Amino acid sequence: MILEYSEQQIVGLVHNRSVSYFEQCLTFGDRLLQEERRALYKYLLESNKDFYKVQAKTLLAEGKVSRTIANGQAIYSVKNSQVTYSAYGLQSEIFSIDVRQIRLSKFRLLNEIRLRKFFAQGDIDIIRNFPLPSRYPREENGFGISVYPFYTLAYYANGKNYLKGIIKKLKTNDKEILTKLRTL
Amino acid sequence: MPIKLSKIIPKALFTTPKIPSVAVVGLMVVEYVILSNVIAPEPKCTLNVERPHYSTYLKETRNIDAIKLNITSECNVPQDYTEVESSIRKLENGQQVVVYAPGLERRESSKSDPKKAEFRDLFALCRLGKSMSYVGSARGLVYLKGGGTIPVKDDSGIFRAANCGIGAQ
Repeated sequence: MILEYSEQQIVGLVHNRSVSYFEQCLTFGDRLLQEERRALYKYLLESNKDFYKVQAKTLLAEGKVSRTIANGQAIYSVKNSQVTYSAYGLQSEIFSIDVRQIRLSKFRLLNEIRLRKFFAQGDIDIIRNFPLPSRYPREENGFGISVYPFYTLAYYANGKNYLKGIIKKLKTNDKEILTKLRTL
Repeated sequence: MPIKLSKIIPKALFTTPKIPSVAVVGLMVVEYVILSNVIAPEPKCTLNVERPHYSTYLKETRNIDAIKLNITSECNVPQDYTEVESSIRKLENGQQVVVYAPGLERRESSKSDPKKAEFRDLFALCRLGKSMSYVGSARGLVYLKGGGTIPVKDDSGIFRAANCGIGAQ
């Protein structure tokens, strides 16, 4: 599933009363619960698997790839075996350079797997900061992220005790929101 | 009989400057540099943690009941971003219990006011009708433009009641 919307589709989303829960999430921005962002990450990772794989291959081959989701754009680039991404609002002056970074390994398959997670996290950051327009006016703040990405144990451990992080990860249950995302 | 001044002080003293004008300008530049360094404000930042409150905004726009924690960091010089670890604690049987801890969050300063970073998306679901007392607290670092960090911390003061319980059954 490639989640890109043209301006016409955005208008359609805003006025369409039977939008899916996922499409609603694209309009929530800073009104998304952390649990929703985490579930969205998992959902995007599974539903965009093939798309992210193509993106990863393009990035590794060409050194640059861009992606539009919700009302923002992420531009990924490779430099010195490190992938970074910068975020831009499509209808906003807000942008952020080198939001996150990951280091590439020597193994292509491992890089592709890690890049898929990196792309999903990037999508969540974009959705959070650059939501699709909705009928509720939104105050623009600076770009904001959770420092520890969902694909790391540091997120569950909040950068501290990784053993506690493993336990917290095992206890984390996003089934309810994931089911909503898949079915509604 | 009056004595002429020019007879007492040699004429050359009035016409020839003792310090060359280039040196005067140089001294003025040095003075400006020293003064501007001395007068430039020492970077200072403060954190303001507002009391956790029931969010009517989230009720109106998403139809969810939530307790929201607003945090603002403000400096006297421009900042890049602020990172904070925040929490909401509730009072239960005289004990303080952490009911919300979103982890380390980063917020860049706003384009309109580069001295300020505002966290406006920290909230936890709650059950309306269950009264509980909350306090919010946060600590973190402000990353200044041009380098340097400043540690900041604050809390919302005393426990205050809200008619919505986080984690209430």
